[in-house]
This record gives sequence, C-alpha cells and structure tokens, in this order.
Amino acid sequence: MMRAGLLILALAGPVLAEPALPTFTEETASAGITTPFEGDWEYMVGGGVATFDCSGDGFPELFLSGGAGPSALYLNRSPKGGALAFEKTGAVSLDAVLGAYPLDIDSDGVMDLVVLRLGENRLLRGLGDCRFEDATQAWGFDGGDAWSTAFAAIWEKGQTWPTLAVGNYVDRKEEAFPWGSCTDNWLHRPGVGSEANRFAAPLALTPSHCALSMLFTDWNRSGHPSLRVSNDREYYKGGQEQMWHLEPGQPPRLYTEKDDGWKRLRIWGMGIASADVNLDGYPDYYLTSMADNKLQVLKDPASGKPDFADIAFKSGITAHRPYTGGDLNPSTAWHPQFADVNNDGLLDLFVAKGNVAQMPDFAAKDPNNLLLGQGDGTFVEAGDRAGVASFGIARGAQVVDFNLDGLLDLVVVNRWEPAQLWRQTGALAGGWVQVRLQQDNVNRDAIGSVVEIRRGDKVERHEIVSGGGHVSGSVGWLHFGLGAAETVELRVIWPDGTADDWLTLPARSFQILRPGQTAKEWPGD
Amino acid sequence: MPFRRRQFLGLTLSAPFALHLKPALAAARADVSREVLLTWHKLILELVRHTATYMPPVAARGFAYIGVTAHEALASGNPALHSLAGQLTDLSPLPTRGEGAFDEPCVLHAALNAAVLELFANTGPTGQRAMEKMGEIMGRTARDGMATDVVDRSVAHGQAIAAHILAWAATDGGAVVENMGFPHDYTPGTNPQDWAPTSAIRLQQAPLLPAWGGNRPFAVPDMAALDAPPPPAYDEAAGSAFHGFAAEVVETAKALTDEQKLIARFWSDDAMLTPTPAGHWISIVMQIADRDALPVEVISSTLAKLGVAQADAFISCWSTKFRYNLLRPVTYIKRHIDPAWEPLLITPPFPEYTSGHSTQSGAASTVLTSIFGDSFAFDDATHEDEGLPVRSFASFEAAAEEAAMSRLYGGIHFRFGNEAGLVQGRAVGAFAAALRTEA
Repeated sequence: MMRAGLLILALAGPVLAEPALPTFTEETASAGITTPFEGDWEYMVGGGVATFDCSGDGFPELFLSGGAGPSALYLNRSPKGGALAFEKTGAVSLDAVLGAYPLDIDSDGVMDLVVLRLGENRLLRGLGDCRFEDATQAWGFDGGDAWSTAFAAIWEKGQTWPTLAVGNYVDRKEEAFPWGSCTDNWLHRPGVGSEANRFAAPLALTPSHCALSMLFTDWNRSGHPSLRVSNDREYYKGGQEQMWHLEPGQPPRLYTEKDDGWKRLRIWGMGIASADVNLDGYPDYYLTSMADNKLQVLKDPASGKPDFADIAFKSGITAHRPYTGGDLNPSTAWHPQFADVNNDGLLDLFVAKGNVAQMPDFAAKDPNNLLLGQGDGTFVEAGDRAGVASFGIARGAQVVDFNLDGLLDLVVVNRWEPAQLWRQTGALAGGWVQVRLQQDNVNRDAIGSVVEIRRGDKVERHEIVSGGGHVSGSVGWLHFGLGAAETVELRVIWPDGTADDWLTLPARSFQILRPGQTAKEWPGD
Repeated sequence: MPFRRRQFLGLTLSAPFALHLKPALAAARADVSREVLLTWHKLILELVRHTATYMPPVAARGFAYIGVTAHEALASGNPALHSLAGQLTDLSPLPTRGEGAFDEPCVLHAALNAAVLELFANTGPTGQRAMEKMGEIMGRTARDGMATDVVDRSVAHGQAIAAHILAWAATDGGAVVENMGFPHDYTPGTNPQDWAPTSAIRLQQAPLLPAWGGNRPFAVPDMAALDAPPPPAYDEAAGSAFHGFAAEVVETAKALTDEQKLIARFWSDDAMLTPTPAGHWISIVMQIADRDALPVEVISSTLAKLGVAQADAFISCWSTKFRYNLLRPVTYIKRHIDPAWEPLLITPPFPEYTSGHSTQSGAASTVLTSIFGDSFAFDDATHEDEGLPVRSFASFEAAAEEAAMSRLYGGIHFRFGNEAGLVQGRAVGAFAAALRTEA
C-alpha cells in the first residue's frame, strides 16, 4: 500500500500504434460449463450471467440463467493463473430465469443475488459458502408476475437499504397484438421507519417502454444519480429512451424535452455500458441496438442539459454488421461492456451479438465484437484475431478475471447452446491493478462510488454500478489496465461523496480499499 | 362527386353469392368477410412496422399486393366485381372457381393468410407468432358453422388466388430487399448538389433503394412520362432562387408553431416506428370503413386501388429521386447558411427531390377522392396510440396538402420538392383511380 503525492509517476500516455492483441482460448468444455439459455418466444430476450465471490476465496463464481431450462451456480475452482475450472452445483437451480445481478442487499458482507424471471422475481439471501435462501418475502419484495428484463440498484442518500429498479417487457399474454403492450417497470424503494430495512410496495415507472437495460448513473455529476432506461422500440408505442430523476424522498420524475432538454431517441435498446470514453470527466453511454449502435457523449456538460451527441460512427464503434463470417446483414447487439482487455491503459469494448432468432433481415452469423481502443478516440475490431468471434446466438456476458492472473477472461450466454467461456492466454506486456471497494455497515461494496485514475494530465472516472449491460452483472475485483506504468495513481470518491486521498498502487497487485484507510494488498500475509 | 353510401349498399346486397344464401345470411357472411379483411389489415399495419425489410417503398408494395389479393378473392365469386387482371401490368387472369359451393369469408381468409405469410416472411419471432395466431383466430371465425367440404374448397381456392398473386409479385423487381434496402457498395456523386449522407448512422451512408424506380409499375403504363420536371437550378449564392428555398426551410423552422410541430410529427410516419406513409393512408381507409360501416367489397376495392396508387407513386418518385440525386436541406444549410442547424425531424436517408410522402399522398388523395368524393370529411386517429391527437380534414386533398407541407415544417424537404411531389402523385393516382373494380 502506498499513499500518493499529487503528482507521481506519469502512466502510459495514449497509445497510437496498433493496440496489443489479446489472445483468448475457449475453455467452455474443459471448465465444465454446460448450461444453455433455453426456450422459445418468451426467452428471445434475456440470458444473463452474474459473477461474484460467494466462497470467500477471491475468485469469482458464475451464475448462469437457463431460460426455460434450469439456472446453475458454478463454483470457481480455477488455480491462480491456470486453466479455468468450475464445479456445477444445484445451489441456485431455478426455472424461468432471464438474468441476475449480485448485490449485498442486507449489507451483511455476504453476497446476495437478484434473480430476474419470467414470472416472480426472487431475492436470494447469501448464507455463506455459496448457500442461499429465498428472502423475497422476508425482505418485503414484491416479485410480481412479469417478463423482467432489466435491473439496476443504488443506495439512495441516507438509506440503509437499496433501491432496486426492475425493467419489464411486453405483456406475454398478448398473442396476436403484443405491440404496444409494454408492462410497467418497477422501482422498489426501502420502506420507512421500522420498515426501513425491507422493501416498500413498488412504484410503477409509468410510462414504461419495454426496458432491456437500466442503469443508475450520475450523468451530470450532481451527486444524485439518475436512472437511465434503454427501451426496445420493437414493442413500444409513443416510447423512447428514458431517464428518471431520483431525488431523495421524492417520487421518480421523468426527464422531458420541455423541462430538461431531454432529446428523443428511439432505438432497439438492448444494453447500456457506461464509461468515460472521451475523458471529459462525465460518463458516456454505449447503447446496443440492431444495426448501428450508439456511443453517447454529453454535448455541453456546462449547460446542465442531458443532450448527447452520438459519436459511434467517428469512433469506429458502430459495430453495425458482422466483420467476419461472410454474412453482410445488419447485426443484433446485446450485452456491451467497457474494459481494458489488453492492459494497455485504454478502454476496450466487448459486445455480445446474436440474431433475435430467425430474423432474416439481420445477420444469422453474427460474431461478438472486441473493439480495442487506440488512444485517439477510435477503436479497431479484433474479435476474430483475439479468438472470441463466436457465431453463437449471444445475449448476456461478463468480462472478468476468473483466474486472477490480471488478464480479463470472458463468459457469454448463448441461446440454445451452453454459455461460452474464454480464458485470456496470451502474453501481454501491460500491467494492471485490481481493487475491491469495501465499506462498513451499509452498501458494503460501495455501489455508486467513483474510482478516479490519473494518467498524466488526464483523470479517468469510473462509476461503480450495479445494473446495465444485458441482464448481467458482477461484483468483485475492479480491473484497470496500466500499460507500461509500474504504479497507478488512484483515488475513490465514496457513495456519500467523500473523496479519499490519491493513492499510488503497484502494478500487478490486488488491493482492498476502504474509506479513509490505506490500501491493503490482497492476499495479505 | 359526393360519397354515395346507398350505391355501396346496393352493390353488396345485389351481389349473388355462390352459396345462394338468403339475404339475411348473406349479410351475416358479408360481415364475417368484413371482419376478416379488416382484422388482417390491422395486423398488416403492425407487421409493416416490425419487419425490417419494410422501408416505405417496400411497405407500399406490400399493401398493394395484399389489396389486390383481397379484391381478387372476392371478385372471383361476385359477378358485381371486376377483376384487375388485364388492367395491372402483367397480371394474368386469376384461377376461377370450380364446381360446388364456396364461402366468401373462407376464400378471403385463406387468400389473405397465404399472402401475408409470404409477404411478411421476414418478420421477427413476434410477428411470426402473431401471424400464426391470426391464422388460427380468423380461420375459426371464417369457418364457424360452415360445412367441411365448403370450407376445404374455399380455402383451396383462396390459396390458389394468393399463389397466383405471389407468383406475379415475385417478378416485379422489388421482391428481394437486402440490408434493409441500403446497398453495400455505393459511389456518391461528386457534384455540389448531389445527395450526401445526412446521419451518423453507418448503415445509411448509402441511400435507400436506389434501384427501386426501375421496378415494374402496377397501373402506370409509362413511368417516364410522369417524371417531375427538374428542380430549380442549383445555386449556392445568397439571393439565388435555390438559396431562397433553403433559407425558407431555416426561417420556417425558426417560426414553427406548436401546431406546425404537431403536423410535422403527425405525418412523419417513420419506417419501423409507424406503419409508414402508405400505411397511414391505409389506416385512414380502415377508420372510414369502420365509421361508415362500408361493405366489404367497397373496402377491398378501395384498398386495392389505394395500394396500387401508393406503390406506383413510390416507384415514380424513386425514379425521380435518383435521376436528380438532389441534396437534402440539412446538407445545403449546414454548408452554406448555418453549420449548427438541425431539422425538427430526422432526415430520411435518400435524395430530396421529389418528396416521397407528398408524391404518395397526392396519389392516395386522388384515388380516395375518386371513390368518396372531393368534400369527404374524416378524422384521422392513426397515431393516437403514439400519443398524437386525432386530426380532422375536410377532404382527402386537404390531408395530402398538409402531409406535403409537413415535410417543410419538419425541415427535411424544400417547398418545391413537396409541390412537385403532389403533382407527380396526382398524375400517378389517376391511373389507379381509373381501374375498374365493378362490373
């Protein structure tokens, strides 16, 4: 652990040469992954994965949704730096699971699991040693009976219990005319008084427009995160992309064109990834869709208006059609995730791709994208060269270091075929650091905090969120690539707004960070 | 010519039926046919929105073939109706009915079911599921209480009608649409007035369906004869006529009233978010059919003529668009007037001149005026479920003129593109209006 002065070692600057190429090796079968995302029409969306450590060994476990088939929890048995290995358990074998997010709801230091389903959603309380019990009723959570396809969580200011947002899709009972039948999204806030540590009855986030991704994000750095909702235009009427004000103690209020300068955008919204791509200090949003995808950056942060420019085209990141495999039809994109996959200090982007199913106007052979940042604001496709250009019909995914070797690995959920698992096996020159945020008492994993990294004269901000993607999420080590730098200058702004001092942390280390304390290297002595 | 409801009723009740039904039963079966026709069209209006192939010109083509299918299914059993075979380009005589009794709702349902399944084969899993359910529901409705042999015979005949139409459709040049209509390879023009991409959408860096103008027309014998005259001479100089038209777009946008913004959005009719411009006019007919309880034969012949007019209007308009390849207002304005200017509506990804919505609205209003009269007032609730209010019109012509003007309000067309489009569309529509659907 190291305390830092304000100006220490400059990290590697922008890299303008061809980005370092990561190499992935598929280890699905050898690692023991056998869970497909099954089902027909009612499972055409969804297909999520959650990763989190429930065994206490620091290695992330894997929970895979199974759709019409059973979900499964896989315990991580990978040796550090070695081949990936998982042990399938029956600990969380549920039907009709569409996706899941890890979240320590009761702040007891043991990870819980939010399970989104076709039918009643469930909250599973972690008991330790990767055992869970259903706490849906005990926590006062109304699981409803819907087609739940999006999720986000936040601890609102002053609350000891989280607020959960659940996005719902069409009314599945509508057969001949399902269009326009989007069902209500829900906001599950804590109760009041003696009910503060359980959920109140959910509020309907009306109007709802068939959400496929949700994200609490402090888009304007106001200290009060708003709720972004990405909606599928295939099914709404009169709908658009949405954002909700969420002021403490106030009912949620929709951003509007008239009152807030919100600009109408109508896409087949399927997933949200957030990162400060243009290094202006504000989160940018990658929105997946069909054909062109969007990369939204704030036009004028000083204006205070949520008016975004789409810079996907000029960033080379539209990912609008397959780049390999010979199918020239437009793509269908689902889970997006920013991460520094090649440890060069620049953000990269993974996008899971797959036809909705038998839509001939869109690519049937639709490879996943791995777009490597080049340091000049543009990205270059490397999915095929890196070995992750699968033609499976992908949905959810997570980019995570499963064997704790500092190289990010990858899991992708596919329809009708087992989820695929890749280990990153190439040699990368760049360094990395992985940090775990921990607080006492409430919101143990510090959801809603910001990790800042100073690279030369630039400060890169990373919002730590629960939500977004396509029904997939992780809690655990936060990975940052460092390039050639041997140290990283980093600080945390905790959910209550307190900014810690800058730290200087050594490359290739795991660090536990707690408010107001020095970093603690993991594993300790 | 005023709308003569009595005439339409006379058409229905005087029409003989193959089953030689008593008038009351005949009227009941006609009601079933009507339900079959309107319910399938209700689904089609959704499928157009949810099938990526169905960009506006493609949607108009689909409506035309569905409309002709329905009319021919009914005409094959009703001597009061006249087939369009021999009137529409390359449409040969349709299969005739053999011996035995036929049931009109069953014939009509089978024909529509087969045609819709084929024409909307590219729709997604939800559309496929909806078509399947619609087939089951309408099939049950049509055959309820009918003898099995009559049902089987009628279904076979309806399917034969559809097969004939679909075989004809396959050869018109518009049957296969790839990449949502955007060519993979496109060489942009190099003249300053040439169309240039207007969005940051990668797929739309090439214009939509540049070869659509070469498709086989339905009713227009010589498309070239209907081509619009050249647009005003291109000029970048302030004070020139062309510059003035662009300046008008800017000034109009600055002074837009709430009503004008509403009009722009009401007629925006975006692909994949609405039933498209052609579907908007189909929706108008369906609303009138519901309000005035129009007989099924009148609805079907109206939809056939309207579909033909709109499909031909798009062919004609697209031929003109790619003949002149004129840039959009936003391109000219950003280059020569205000680099930061943005229109109210999203500019469609193809050349400006002539306006497609104006052309097909001119064609639609011409056909509908020929059927219902020139002072036929109606309300239009097409976009009510999108949150847009109902609009009322004194005539079809008034609606078409508002649709054309809406493109100026939206900042996506010059005035001259709208006006020339209306003229072009009316000329196209006259051919569809002249089609004979009654004996």
